[in-house]
Amino acid sequence: MRRQFINDPQEHVREALDGFERTYPHLVRWNREPSYVARATPPAQPKVALVAGGGSGHEPLHAGFVGSGMLDAAVPGAIFSSPTAIQLEAATRAADSGRGVLHVIKNYTGDVMNFGIAAELVSADGIEVERVLVADDLATDAPEGTGPGRRGTAAVLVVEKACGAAAERGASLQEVAALGRRIADNARTMAMALASCAHPGESEPSFELGPDEVELGVGIHGERGVARVPFGTAAQLVPQLVDPVVEALGLTRGDEVIAIVNGLGATHPLELSVVFRETALLLEEAGITIARQLVGPYVTALDMAGVSITLVRADAELVELWDAPVRTAALTW
Amino acid sequence: MVSDGLLDAAAARAWVDAFVGVADAERGALGELDRRSGDGDFGSNLQTSLTRARVELASATGATPAEPFALLSTAFLNTGGTSGPLYGMWFRELSRTFGEAEAVGLDALAAAVAAGTATVQRLGGATVGDKTMVDALAPAGDALAAAAAAGDALPEALRAAALAARAGAEGTAELVARRGRASYVGEVARGVIDPGAVTVALFFEAAPGVSAS
Repeated sequence: MRRQFINDPQEHVREALDGFERTYPHLVRWNREPSYVARATPPAQPKVALVAGGGSGHEPLHAGFVGSGMLDAAVPGAIFSSPTAIQLEAATRAADSGRGVLHVIKNYTGDVMNFGIAAELVSADGIEVERVLVADDLATDAPEGTGPGRRGTAAVLVVEKACGAAAERGASLQEVAALGRRIADNARTMAMALASCAHPGESEPSFELGPDEVELGVGIHGERGVARVPFGTAAQLVPQLVDPVVEALGLTRGDEVIAIVNGLGATHPLELSVVFRETALLLEEAGITIARQLVGPYVTALDMAGVSITLVRADAELVELWDAPVRTAALTW
Repeated sequence: MVSDGLLDAAAARAWVDAFVGVADAERGALGELDRRSGDGDFGSNLQTSLTRARVELASATGATPAEPFALLSTAFLNTGGTSGPLYGMWFRELSRTFGEAEAVGLDALAAAVAAGTATVQRLGGATVGDKTMVDALAPAGDALAAAAAAGDALPEALRAAALAARAGAEGTAELVARRGRASYVGEVARGVIDPGAVTVALFFEAAPGVSAS
């Protein structure tokens, strides 16, 4: 039995967006109908605009990354549901400052389709759109052409950060898109849950785990993972996330990465720090350098207890873009 | 309304109204099909689209046959999920192909349906046999094209399209999904007809003169 701070499940997302806008009035503006979050102040110079979006329930993604150095607009759907094409069209039109719009899309059928429709709707008016598809979740890896492909999860924030920095410096739409695709190609994620999440207004989680079980390969929607493994110490659990990612990316001694230890919603910062420590020790042992890291709840699955670990192969250019100034609700430096 | 082999504004509006009515009446059954083969949100998404469609249609001017399809398109594009937006783009192609014409003939309708189906296939990535709405759209389009080539009358062509769409929808029962949410459940959905394809059949069955036969 779980309890939540909630009024009406149907209004939960809109009430949260209202609260978010009230929290960061200097950073964001919430357009109510159609619903999207834009920067409070448009960029001073025309630049490539970045628009991301997807289902709600992953906060602070994506609205928490709207601001200078990152996104121009974020488009929230209902909980775990794609935003509509009409929302995405409106956000794309609003964000465009004449140099084109980059759609950053997590790979889900509904998101891909609605972003695609929005691109088609605005192209009729000469707005140029490119897309970066983020598909980093190793748990859903399958041979090409056999299904919807890997899900998009926490790697999306690296794409948003680096592409946002490049756009801010005046890179062209094609350059920003190529950068985003290169990052997405070189990023993989693996996640595990200690407890699943409950939808707003529901008291039961989407799946139950026994006291000795951990769900390996979960996504960010409370869906079942790919395997149940025994619960254990952090030192026993973390390698089950790190090792497959290292292998999938073909990382070897001397390589550099950006590492993200991401809380899925209900995992405490103390635990996340312990998970990061285990990650750092493992990579250190393998001779892989963590060039930059981020630890915290950034891409969540409501109140799921668990973590995802994302590694992105890094080079000097990516690190430099990562270090560029950013000022958003969830990421500022 | 479809006199002189033409679909005029009033006939188009009657078609769209009839479709909205029958889809609303069937949405419980469609939702049940989706619960057995997908993720169960088809019925509620359809309801959202139809409610919005009624609001949009209330402001129609009735000037062209394109208009009710354009309003239907906006309503469906305003919906979550995947099938709603695809219907939205399909209706949009109908309205775009009809343009400003005061009445359209079988050739224009066949071209519009072909364009709409091509758009749905491009955006959704589905082909015939993937257990999606395309399994009803494609045969309906083929029937219209064949009727146009044979010089058939419009009501006759619409009846042929409705029969083809219904047969295509029924045929999805034997298919295993490769696209859409049903692809996640695979074999479990075998034996269940695809609600997206059934909705297409309902649309063509709602065309002027079809149900009267």
